Amino acid sequence: MSDLQIGVSREEGDKAVTIMRLMGSLDANTQSTLEDKAREAVDSGAKYLILDMSGVDYLGSAGMRAIHAVTNLLSPDDPSMRSACLKVLNPSPAAAKVFKTLGFDAFIDVHDNINEAIAAL
Amino acid sequence: MSLKLRAGLEQLSQIREYAIESATALGVVPSAFDDVRLAVDEAVTNIITHGYGGPGDIELDLTTKGPDLIVRLRDQAPPFDLAFAPPTDLSPPGERDNPGGFGVFLMQSVMDNIAHQATKTGNELTMIKLNVVRVPP
Repeated sequence: MSDLQIGVSREEGDKAVTIMRLMGSLDANTQSTLEDKAREAVDSGAKYLILDMSGVDYLGSAGMRAIHAVTNLLSPDDPSMRSACLKVLNPSPAAAKVFKTLGFDAFIDVHDNINEAIAAL
Repeated sequence: MSLKLRAGLEQLSQIREYAIESATALGVVPSAFDDVRLAVDEAVTNIITHGYGGPGDIELDLTTKGPDLIVRLRDQAPPFDLAFAPPTDLSPPGERDNPGGFGVFLMQSVMDNIAHQATKTGNELTMIKLNVVRVPP
């Protein structure tokens, strides 16, 4: 059984935003759980995603590869816009450090407020 | 303190937990826990994924030398030297489909010294984090 649970909800505003709330560890054992769930959402029409990481207690390189893969699912017609279609919300200090060490903070925005994250999309 | 087990990716959380329990018992300062957890997870993931290509026997051993923490991992996988790991590519999403090299890059960024040694039966990886153990005055 995966020790990563993901709840999905939708905010209908100027843009329909899909929010994925992650609970648990995002490692090599669970990276496919995130990729599968995101693919399911994109196949159902999701164009803008927020990954709420408040409940993620561990993020490693495999998790970052999953986030990279999720980003690559978005904006299929304009790859340069992919990063702009994904926002990350509330990573722990340890997860934020991994994010920064691998340079992801240069192309994926990290927010600590969901309304700001939605407005930034 | 050491842990020997047949590990697959399903055991990663258990191994991370063990590493922090051991670090705590050895007097490692809590501010180093995230780095130790990350280095151990990345190293074990590499052994399972690239060394064995699946579950395999792994021994994790944490010790101290003065103020320094020493983490050793032993396996019986084919010899693999981290020096020959693929280079890290930090290109943005969209510019490449299958990023790699993140794990070794992270290990090197959070530990002060990493050394690989081929053994008669496999590999031994030694990772050292300096000045993180409380030493009695």
